[in-house]
Amino acid sequence: MTYIRRFGDLRLTDRPDVGGKCASLGELIHAGIEVPDGFAVTAGAFEAFRDQGSLRDDLKRIVRSVDPSRSSDLDAAHTAASELVAATPIPQEVVDQIVAAYGELCEAAGDEALPVAVRSSGISEDGDVTSFAGQQETYLWVVGAHDVIDNVRACWASLYTPQAIAYRSQLPEEVAFESTLISVGVQAMVDAEVAGVAFTVSPRTGDRSVMAINASWGLGQAVVSGEVTPDEYWLSKIGLDVTSSTVARKTMQCVPSTTGRGVITIPVPDDQQDVACLAPESIRELADIAIRVEQHYGCPQDIEWARTRATNGRPARIVLLQSRPETSWKKRQAESRAKTGSSAAASYLSVIQNAGTGVRKA
Amino acid sequence: MTLTEDSTSVRRFPDPYSIPTPDGAQGWEDMYPYYNRFLESRRDRDSKRTWFRNGMHFPEPMPPFDIVTSDSAFMSTGVMNTRVFALPPALGIDVRVLNGYVYMSANGVENPEEIGHRAEEFAVRVGYYYQNWPDIYAKWEAKVRAEIAKLQAVAIPALGEFEPVEDVLANRGVTSSNDFLVAYQAILASLDAAWNLHSELLNMGYAAYLNFLMILRGHFPEISDQSVAKMVSGVEVLLFRPDDELKKLAALAIELDVTGRFAAGRLESLRADLAESGAGQKWNAAYDESADPWFNFSYGNGFYHHHRSWSDDPTFPLTIIAEYIGRLQKNEDLRRPLEAVSTERDAVVDRYRSLLDADDVQAFDEALGLSRVVFPYVENHNFFIEHWYMTKFWNKMRELSEVFVRFEFFADVDDIFFMRRAEVGDALVDVQMSWCGGGEPLGPDYWPSIIEERRRIHAALKRWTPPPALGPAPAEIVEPMTIMLWGITDDQVKSWLDAQSGDGVVRVLSGFAGSPGVAEGPARVVMSPGDLDFLVDGEILVAPITSPSWTPVFARIKGAVSDIGGIMCHASIVSREYGLPAVVGTGTATATIKTGQIIRVDGDKGIVTILSDS
Repeated sequence: MTYIRRFGDLRLTDRPDVGGKCASLGELIHAGIEVPDGFAVTAGAFEAFRDQGSLRDDLKRIVRSVDPSRSSDLDAAHTAASELVAATPIPQEVVDQIVAAYGELCEAAGDEALPVAVRSSGISEDGDVTSFAGQQETYLWVVGAHDVIDNVRACWASLYTPQAIAYRSQLPEEVAFESTLISVGVQAMVDAEVAGVAFTVSPRTGDRSVMAINASWGLGQAVVSGEVTPDEYWLSKIGLDVTSSTVARKTMQCVPSTTGRGVITIPVPDDQQDVACLAPESIRELADIAIRVEQHYGCPQDIEWARTRATNGRPARIVLLQSRPETSWKKRQAESRAKTGSSAAASYLSVIQNAGTGVRKA
Repeated sequence: MTLTEDSTSVRRFPDPYSIPTPDGAQGWEDMYPYYNRFLESRRDRDSKRTWFRNGMHFPEPMPPFDIVTSDSAFMSTGVMNTRVFALPPALGIDVRVLNGYVYMSANGVENPEEIGHRAEEFAVRVGYYYQNWPDIYAKWEAKVRAEIAKLQAVAIPALGEFEPVEDVLANRGVTSSNDFLVAYQAILASLDAAWNLHSELLNMGYAAYLNFLMILRGHFPEISDQSVAKMVSGVEVLLFRPDDELKKLAALAIELDVTGRFAAGRLESLRADLAESGAGQKWNAAYDESADPWFNFSYGNGFYHHHRSWSDDPTFPLTIIAEYIGRLQKNEDLRRPLEAVSTERDAVVDRYRSLLDADDVQAFDEALGLSRVVFPYVENHNFFIEHWYMTKFWNKMRELSEVFVRFEFFADVDDIFFMRRAEVGDALVDVQMSWCGGGEPLGPDYWPSIIEERRRIHAALKRWTPPPALGPAPAEIVEPMTIMLWGITDDQVKSWLDAQSGDGVVRVLSGFAGSPGVAEGPARVVMSPGDLDFLVDGEILVAPITSPSWTPVFARIKGAVSDIGGIMCHASIVSREYGLPAVVGTGTATATIKTGQIIRVDGDKGIVTILSDS
């Protein structure tokens, strides 16, 4: 069996095998977007793990027996399931393939202790499932095959947090099972000087002609988790003009730990806190990339991005760490339409639209 | 809807009945007819309505006669909405004059049944206009040209010692005295007709544009008005034609080798100097050809008798021609980048269109198509009526006034504009009686002191700053003209309310983002066209409203700010054309900003900031 898929070989259609996150990264590479290299530990790997002995039944029994309204029940189930996942050995075939794939990744990068990010990649297309069922785990700056494997296991275990168990307990059994199908992505870390998120649709109103970019110093973790107030740049996608930029005071940043493993949050130097962390040309470059991604997918995107540090004569580059469809824009657009559209005006504007039907400029 | 008090609203503008008369303006009420005033006996009703100042068309206090333009313009826009097209939710506008300034309040239809009934009528009527628009517009131009010719043809009788003998020998019977009365009535009737024509296509043109705007807002809630305007705007717009004529005349002067006369800098005698040579005569002939109609271009907006035109006072066009000659001699390209404008317009449309779902494309295309069909009228009507027709109108009134001057009612022909329209009628009868009976008219013993007093009151009113609105804040603004043209939106109302509740030290003004970009520089407050003479290159123009005839000035300024105006006002259109930032519809810029203050105009956000006092 193959339990490993290289990002470069993946397309969106591989979602059932590698989850949405990894499939999307493969699709981005296919679209010519720069994405740090990596591989997916397939959903099949977790299935092979669970198929050992009575593990699958044991886990199911633990999870289905709880009363989700009792937090002590949930905590106990979490402890029991986590211990089971931690104590069960990973099939040797899976271990060997992860070690080999990590080795290849190190070799390609020319760094035998290549730091990687290890992240859950859920199979479900349901946003609620990926949000609530414990499929959002991320471990940064993981070094060495041994640690990679440990963190893959940690991603699996995160399906059994008390919240995830409570969430799944209210789902029909079939759906609950599907929401435990996860793959794990292993991706080369980017030592980001600046990172953040980009929306190719207005998060305020769902306006598709508008794009918003958040950016802060260091790894994107600080922005995603809301630890800092990032700089905010708004662009019109028509001509890519920056329509507004708000430079925030960015006090903290997330950087690789001095131990070489993991990340830490440290203060931003005073003279950097109030400085815009993206120059206009970088904003434009990022916006260009984001629009290419949106055009490739044909729908608005929510993108995590990073700009690398310039090193050894290699210029800073913007890379994408993730892109997923932004799904709530239609709802927000409708809300905003309801707010601005006046019923009295609408009553005759529709008449005008009808009256003008078929009129073309001579 | 009618702008009446909303029960949940507690915010108010000043009550029209509580506003004191400015110092020195006691008795101002006498300058305006009763139907234009806040009558004490109607306090309970008029106090309950919201009244917006119309500073866009009437930035200055009205001279008594000039209120005829407000009468005719509001009657015309009203009759088209109310009776001609049966616009479902909006009727016309009621008008009041307070301390000389024009305020307006929209009449609406609130009963859903009535709206439905009107909508049926509306569909038939507006449908016919939209389906046949280019044809109707072509006929419209012919009707306006005919109206101008008719006004020109109104003969003011000589009222000499005797009736012309040929009339007597033709036993005409009816006399010049009667002709005089008829002439005045013909002038007023023509004004009314011209304004009917003005509104015939304008309101429906704006309605089609508003429809497109609302469709776009539905898909792109954050779209700027500028972007919408850009998609619809024509490339060839008559507003630029007079300026183009100046450029053409500058090129011709070079071609005919008569530029030396311009360099000499004696503009008063320039045309006479040129007439001395054959080449100069040729140039003069070309100038005259351009001048009628293109220099019937008001220095103001045409609504006031003292807004003279380029034809009346050619100093400005001649100055600009001289400047253009200099620039052409330095090999500057003065042509407007029409191709770039048109390419950009198409690119913007394509981009927005590509962001729509397939299902929405057809409605977008239809709304855009209709907007583009109607838009040439929206952009061009202004030249025909406000500039061309009104230039002729004021001068026809001056021709009539010369009779009063001959009868020694007053010495200055412009004094007639300090009489109300009905009073001119009275004075006319006075002239008739005197001329017919050979006695003395009473006017010379009656009018001079009144006119002098009114000129004094008018000057006092000019020094007063009218609030942008009166009465309770409205709940919702839907009337398309109010939004499109005057730039009065719910947000605008809120910012006006906020401004009046501040601590009195206003440093930041908000308005419409009329034209994108940011500029900083010294302010030049221009309250009337005469102030333009003081404008220095690189200043930021701050005006109640700008006139299209100021277009050449935009080549010299860094940005523009106006009290009143929306995305389609002239300051916005011309600023976009010249790539200057503009913030329009600030409500209070001319009252807040002082000449010489350093200000920042942010045309992206619609914000003006006073940075320092010098």
